[in-house]
Amino acid sequence: MFDFLEPFFFAVFSLGIIGAGVCVVMLRRITAQALLMALTFASMAGMFLLLGAETIALFQVLIYVGAITILILFGVMFTKQDDRGYALFFQKQTPWAAAFTLVIAVPVVFLAFSFKDAITPSGKGGDLIPLAGSLFTDYAFPFEIASVLLLAALVGAIVLVKRDEQ
Amino acid sequence: MTVPLGAFIAVSAVLFFLGAAGVLIRRNAVVILMCVELMLNASNLALVAFSRRAGQLGAGNPLDQRGSVFVVFVFVIAAAEVAVGLAIILAAYRNRPTVNVDEIHEMKG
Repeated sequence: MFDFLEPFFFAVFSLGIIGAGVCVVMLRRITAQALLMALTFASMAGMFLLLGAETIALFQVLIYVGAITILILFGVMFTKQDDRGYALFFQKQTPWAAAFTLVIAVPVVFLAFSFKDAITPSGKGGDLIPLAGSLFTDYAFPFEIASVLLLAALVGAIVLVKRDEQ
Repeated sequence: MTVPLGAFIAVSAVLFFLGAAGVLIRRNAVVILMCVELMLNASNLALVAFSRRAGQLGAGNPLDQRGSVFVVFVFVIAAAEVAVGLAIILAAYRNRPTVNVDEIHEMKG
């Protein structure tokens, strides 16, 4: 009798994702844009829950909604956001960019609807154990490489923003 | 009544192309970074949806989580990318106090 719940939540989350995504692209208030980006990420976490990927949804909330949004907000605060009105819709690249994106996007979105398989949540105790088993056995080496990449990004970020001591 | 796979893929594609349009249209470097994050996240949704379908079809191990493993690596790449990207924006901002990418057209110090 609760069959309607899954399409209902799908509609809510996709509205959150696409509506907030449109706002991120279109708005001119940068703090509101950053917070709406967080709303997109949170709705995406709900989408992962619908798909039965609870661990990924947890990572999504921790990394995207938490860390990356805060980092972007720091970037907003460290730079002066000039509010002078450079015209958003009358730049020379806008019509080309919009046409190019639409030409590719419309066929892809229509093609996407050709996947008719129903997605049913597995309901077999979550995805944490199979995910961890896969990540730490078959993909242990890429996992270690990813940690090296994170270290390199950390050092690189510090080096880039470090002021030269005169 | 369940949601078909195509609906998830369509949402993912719409978000991806929204991000792509934002990267092409917007001139604020921080907003461009946000739009890149949207694109990466859209790809995550497609990966998880297809991974779920592959597990259902019984192609091999039903507990196959390769798509989700890939999503974990995309998370790592996204975190590294946003950290280094913001550092580059701040370094460029120090040379020339603007975040408008049209005004940062030369890389001389």
